[in-house]
This record gives sequence, C-alpha cells and structure tokens, in this order.
Amino acid sequence: MVAMIRRLACATALAGVALTSAASAADVKLGIIAPMTGQLASEGQDMENAIKLAIGAVNEKGGVNGDTLTTVTADDACDPQQGVTAASKLVSEGVTAILGGYCSGAVLPTLKIYGDAGIPFIIIGANSTKLVDANPGNAFMINSTGDMQAVTAIELFQKNGYKKIAVIDEGDAYSSDLAKLTAEAFKKAGGEVVDRETTTAGEQDYSAVVTKIKSSGAEAVFWTAYHAGGALLTKQLRQAGFQGGIVLGDGNNSPEYLQIAGSAGEGAYLLSPPTVDLLSGAADFKDKYKAAYGRDAGAYAALSDDAGNLIADAIGRAKSTDHKAIIEALASSDYKGLAGEIKFTDKHTLQTSNFRPVVAKGGKWVADE
Amino acid sequence: MTFDLVIQQLVNGLIVGSFYALIALGYSMVFGVIKLLNFAHGDIYMTGAFAGLVVFSTVGVWLGNGWLAVVCALLASMLAVGLLGVIIERFAYRPMRNAPRLSILITALGASMVLNGGALALTGGRHFAFNTDLGYSGIDISAVHITYTQMILVAAAIVLMTGMQTFISRTMYGKAMRAVSIDMGASRLMGIDVDRVIALTFFMGSALAAGGGVMAGAYYGSVHFFMGFIMGLKAFTAAVIGGIGSVPGAMLGGLLLGLLESFGSSLPFIGSEWRDVFVFGALILFLVFKPTGILGRSVVERV
Repeated sequence: MVAMIRRLACATALAGVALTSAASAADVKLGIIAPMTGQLASEGQDMENAIKLAIGAVNEKGGVNGDTLTTVTADDACDPQQGVTAASKLVSEGVTAILGGYCSGAVLPTLKIYGDAGIPFIIIGANSTKLVDANPGNAFMINSTGDMQAVTAIELFQKNGYKKIAVIDEGDAYSSDLAKLTAEAFKKAGGEVVDRETTTAGEQDYSAVVTKIKSSGAEAVFWTAYHAGGALLTKQLRQAGFQGGIVLGDGNNSPEYLQIAGSAGEGAYLLSPPTVDLLSGAADFKDKYKAAYGRDAGAYAALSDDAGNLIADAIGRAKSTDHKAIIEALASSDYKGLAGEIKFTDKHTLQTSNFRPVVAKGGKWVADE
Repeated sequence: MTFDLVIQQLVNGLIVGSFYALIALGYSMVFGVIKLLNFAHGDIYMTGAFAGLVVFSTVGVWLGNGWLAVVCALLASMLAVGLLGVIIERFAYRPMRNAPRLSILITALGASMVLNGGALALTGGRHFAFNTDLGYSGIDISAVHITYTQMILVAAAIVLMTGMQTFISRTMYGKAMRAVSIDMGASRLMGIDVDRVIALTFFMGSALAAGGGVMAGAYYGSVHFFMGFIMGLKAFTAAVIGGIGSVPGAMLGGLLLGLLESFGSSLPFIGSEWRDVFVFGALILFLVFKPTGILGRSVVERV
C-alpha cells in the first residue's frame, strides 16, 4: 500500500516536472550581444531596444511556430576578451540564435565559439572583411562589409576631386580593416595616401595627429573608426584651421557625432548604412521606438529591427528550433526589411551594398546628391 | 621634421601635459597623505566634468555660453565634487584606515566602479556635447597655431597648481598635510587632527580633478561616462614618473608625459600606432634607473 502511494507520488512529480519543462520549452530564447557598457554603450543599448521592439511585435502576432520569443542580453563592451566571455555565457544559456555585434573587434573571436556550438548568428553592425574570412558558416552579416564601403568611399573621393588623403584608424579590427581596404583601393585608383595614422580609442586629445595631418598636405581626412573619436578629431581639425574635406566611415553614424562636433561637423561626409532617417518607410518604426524608449532611434535601429524579424522569419520557415535548420533557412533568405532587401551570398554577406554617402547640413545627416 | 612641426608638437604636448599634471596632483597628494592609490580619482574627474556641464547648461541660459559661464561651472563643480571626495573618503576609506593595504585598494576600485556605473546608468552611455562659445582665434607664430583658449586653460591649470603648492608649503594646514604624510602617528601625537587634514587633502585633490574635468569638457567639447578611465591611468603614470607623493613631481611628470606622447606620435619611421609603446617603454626605462620617480623621496625603512 505504502509502496503504491510512493510510486504514485513519484509518477505525479515526474509528470509535473515534464509538464513545466514542456511549458518553458515553448519559449524560444534569442541571445543579444552588443556593447552595453564602455565607449559605445549607447549603440549597444539602441540595438537591444530595436531588437526587443521587433521581437515584441512578433510575439503579439502569435509568436513563431506557436512559441513565444524571449531575449537574453550579454555585454561585449566592444572588447575582444569581454566578447568571448559574453559569447560563452550565451552559448551556455542554450539560445536558439544570436543577434547583434557592433564592434568587429569584439565579434571576431566569438565566431569560433558560436561556430563550435553551431548556433546561427545574425551580425547587425560589425562588418569587417576579417569576419567574412573567419566565418565558420553559421554567421550572417546584414550590414554591408568593409570592401563595399571602400568602393563607396573611393567614389566619394573622386567625385570631390580629392587626390591626396589622410587615413586615420583606431587600430581595431573594424577600423584598421576599412582603412587598409580604402588605402589600397585608393592607391589603385591613382590617388595618394599622404598620411596614415592610428590613434587610441578613448583619447580626447588628437592635437599631435592633427598637426601631422596639416603638415602632410592632405586634401581630405578619412576617419574609419567610431563617432566618439570622430567628433573630437573633426572639432580639433577645424580648430587648427584644417580646410580640407572630412569623410567618415559608417561607425560614425550616430546623432551624437553631430551634437558633439557641432558647427565643426558641417559639411562632413558619412558613408551611411540605412538609418531610420534615410528610409522612406521607417516613419512608423521611428514613432514606435520613440514611444517605447523615450529616445530617438539610433543609427542601427533599422537593421536591428530587420534582424529580429529575419530570425523570426527564418525560424518560421525552418519550422523548428534546430540550429542547422535555421542556418539553412537563413542562407536561403529573401526578406524585404526596413533597411532593404536581405539576400545572402554564399559567403553570407549581403548581395547588394547598402551604403550611401550623406553629408552633415544644419546639424542633420542629409542625402548627398 | 621641420622646426615649425617641432614647436607645434611641443605646444601640443605642454597643453595636454598640463591636464595630466592637474589630475596627477590629486593622485600624488592623496598617496602622500594616506598611502592610497585612489583609483576613483579618474572617475572624480569625470564626475567633475558632468557637474560642470550641468551647471554650465543651467547658468548658460542667463550668462551665455562664454567664459563667464565656464568659470561659474568650474567653481561650482570644484566645490561640489570636492565635497564628494570628502564623502567618499569618510565612508569608503576612513573605516579602512587600519586595514591591510590591499583591502583599501580594492575599496578604491569599488568606489571607481560605483561612480562609473552610476554615470552609465544615469546617462545611458551617451556622449554629451559641452558646447561653449570660446572660439578658435589665436596667434600664429609662422606655422604654429596657438589659440587663446589653449593659453587661458594652461594658465588656469598653472594658477591652480601653484596655488596648491603655495598652500602646502606656506600655510598651517599645508604643514599639517606634510606632517601627516611623513608620519601619521607622530602627527596625531603632536595634536594634529589627522582626520580633518585627510578630509582636506581629499577635498583639494578632488576639486583639482573636477576642475581639470570641467576644463577638458569645455576644451574638447564632449563628456562621457568613460572619459575618466584613460585619464586616470595617464595621471597615475604621470604621478609615478614624477615621484608619487611629491606635488612638484606630479606637475613635472604630467608635463613630461604630455611631451612624450606628443613627440611619440611624430617619430620618424615609426607610425603613430606605436605611440603608447614608445611612451610606456620610455617610462619603464626611466623607472629602472630612477624607481622613485624624478622628485621622489627614497623611502628608508627604519627597522
């Protein structure tokens, strides 16, 4: 009698556990990796905001395959070592897929970790060509890569008649890659790189570099790193009397650049990925974002929103949360997002370049005709 | 390298060096008095910059965005953040006065993270523009361009530092600070209120750092919650080169570091990506030959 009761209790307990675990198995966990602290914290938080907004909208429509999507965020602080720690954390949480990545330097070492675990990774902002080469096959880049940006940059230089340029980077995987590609392409196109400098991230004083640029006779400066340094460099260049052109890589795409550079930033060119201000169909999204978070959507909000919707779309097409199935579904994507068409090459980069030059006019980024 | 280039780099180095000197002073003072490397010092600099920005924005509505508003922001920030320094000392460091050296070091690290994390939480990681109307006009000596703003800031830094040096060498409280830095126990026996002297040291050191923060914010035009990290590191390095615990040493160390950096980015054949390698390599070499720094005192342990 006692034995039977004991057996019944066990069975009930097991059934209870099975039921609860079945209930939580219906939640599909997505990992978000971005710089949540450090110099670029505002960009990481912007990406997380936009992804959560997209996922929330998907859940409201009933989720994917009947499951609700949840997110868990890990901070890579735009640092390779912290990126590795954050990546391991996400892998151990058993996420179905990972979205994010702003700094190529922080993303590069994590590719192997995700690759070994076979987890699909949609890279939203990071776009160094080093990532393309190191891709173990599970990562998908929805931001056009450095080599395409170099092409757009050369076109811009030629359009403005710059024959001698100075190229400045910060030594990390993204900026040094873009700088190298652009310098090589420019030399091939017949131009001259009269000054090639590397600065340290987080510095405020660029006077030494500014002095060197001025004495090199450069007609334009191409800054390939992020907006924090870009704004300060722009200010100090103008302060020192530099009259040439200033061209910025896509890492400078932030309203903060304009705020900090102020009047010194007038007339600066930026190679911009599709941001909410440049996209005609994004007004709705802009308002939703502002209503939800009380701040304006940042530069990568549109791409982050696309990432969230893309992964939902891929999971839906794969009809399962199996990693391999999702990777296959992603590879065959033909998704029309806010930021444009998402179709991958067999290297998992975008088939078409999504960069366009914009110019700072009156404190805003305006399309360059 | 042309002569003009050399002079311009010299000027650049002196300007950035005076910022380093200002912050290094605070580091040195605190170390001198309680033998603590205050890791929170860089974050005090950052807090000072933010406090200055807040005051500047509020006052700027009436006084415009020129020098008057900057000076108001400077004084208000120095006062407020000086008091913050005193509060940190009272609650984070004083209870650890008799604890092992390592424990108080960890506390300092903790204080730094509290300030840093608090700033991140409050500002969301955004960069804030410190837009002043200070202008870029200046004088030109052949190809060398020095703006009036730069000259005024360097002058202000020199005034603050000489003021500090005079205070320490000429006043009663300054004498008390020197006494405490030599022997805390004996000072107490001589009737010096050690707690009050230490609080005063923290007030002055933090006020200087805050002043440096406001000046850097106004000069470079942006404040960010992480700006104290690199500055703290450099100021600490400058304090060590100059001889930690020595006030004139900190000033010298700061200027030297500024000059090393400026010339380090213009080395022939070596690109500017090697600048930090050059600077810290020089430092290591220097410390190998003079471990106590330029003006440091050799500490003799009497057994």
